[in-house]
Amino acid sequence: MTVRSYYLPRSLPEALGLLAARGPELLVLAGGTVAMPLINEGISLPDEVMGLRMAGLDRIDREGDVLRIGATTTLTQLLNQDAIPVLREAARNTASWSVRNMATVGGNLFTPPPGGDVAVALLALDADVVLAGPAGRRIVPMAEFYTGFMTNQVGEDELLVELRVPVRDDGTAYLKLGRKHASTPSVVTVAVRVAWHEQRVSEARVALGAVGPHPVRAAGAERLLVGSGLEPDVIEAAAASAARESRPFTDGIATDWYRRRMAGLFVRRALERLAPGARGEGR
Amino acid sequence: MKIRGTHTLGARRDAVFAAICDPDALLAVIPGCRDIEQVGDAEYRGRISLRLPGVVGTYRTVVRLVDSDPPARGDLEGELEGSLGSIRGRATFRLTDAGEGTRIDYEGEAVIGGPLARFDSRFVEGLAGSLIDQGLRNMDSRLPGGGTVALESQDDPTTREIRA
Repeated sequence: MTVRSYYLPRSLPEALGLLAARGPELLVLAGGTVAMPLINEGISLPDEVMGLRMAGLDRIDREGDVLRIGATTTLTQLLNQDAIPVLREAARNTASWSVRNMATVGGNLFTPPPGGDVAVALLALDADVVLAGPAGRRIVPMAEFYTGFMTNQVGEDELLVELRVPVRDDGTAYLKLGRKHASTPSVVTVAVRVAWHEQRVSEARVALGAVGPHPVRAAGAERLLVGSGLEPDVIEAAAASAARESRPFTDGIATDWYRRRMAGLFVRRALERLAPGARGEGR
Repeated sequence: MKIRGTHTLGARRDAVFAAICDPDALLAVIPGCRDIEQVGDAEYRGRISLRLPGVVGTYRTVVRLVDSDPPARGDLEGELEGSLGSIRGRATFRLTDAGEGTRIDYEGEAVIGGPLARFDSRFVEGLAGSLIDQGLRNMDSRLPGGGTVALESQDDPTTREIRA
């Protein structure tokens, strides 16, 4: 343990001021579920840490058709909201009770694969990420947030402060495959959303986790779905496309081969839940 | 850790090679680069800060261009050192014409020491690849003709392979 200073700002301006003053060597901590194990094991050795716990970023507010979720909202809080059922489902499938009480929605976006299960749902929901810095706020769509493995659009003088999620009545489904029923790293995580117009799919999102350097959308699969009625052959083709589009990796949880197979299978299962006649989650 | 990859840039070979040897250009394109100075004919020293999930740090870095054949090829060796450990390695890059642009092929080998070596190798390798891609994208957008080739090329203008 080498931490010399721990800062606990009471507001966002104070947090941004500390970040500007202390520079890029200040470790920003939200729930601490990623950083603390690394610090305790001596892998991460920060001199200075800033905790965002008291910075007032932990509110969920509904504003018309948008759910504003503060960055340090815990996954337990997310589990208790009912505006967007698929986010509840994503939170339920992430980690364990004790971890969900600390882990934050904003922090989930920084959790490298196979973590980041909530981020997969946020990607399918077309959420916007709000970043705050000395120059004010800017909005980055989830689809553009990641720039690579463990890299993203957040500038070194910026903090992720809020997620803005459109509240719609589209069909949604969220499925996660792990090696255990709960509190388990993902083999593959799938979040799908379809909007309907006159019994045809007018918009489709297929988001995948743990099969790429960050949560990714299977754009080819999405294109196949638009205009369809989610017929079995369309679902089959979209699932095959999603498997092809995934860029899986091998780790202690699963091989790349298995992850790709499961990506196809779980996209198929998720879409089948949304097909006419099925009893889906969000329809 | 071994790393190799290919990337296509929009600028011509001589512009790309010049950028690789220009401290000001390197400062602008290397992710997290705080400062860099040329300390010899072909030696550069600088500092790189990285803010990663759960891990922050600043690394002193020294890079030497040990052999070169402008604007076709260069051999680099260098080291990165900070509180989290060190990375020492060698790399070779080759530049060839690709239409109006330049194809860069690189290959290198690095040894990781200190706490960094205790990270899951998938993380260090994934991150190295991600930072190289980002640096090359930055270089592409900074040089004349940037972005155009990548947009016109096939699905993936970048290929990379990393082996522990």
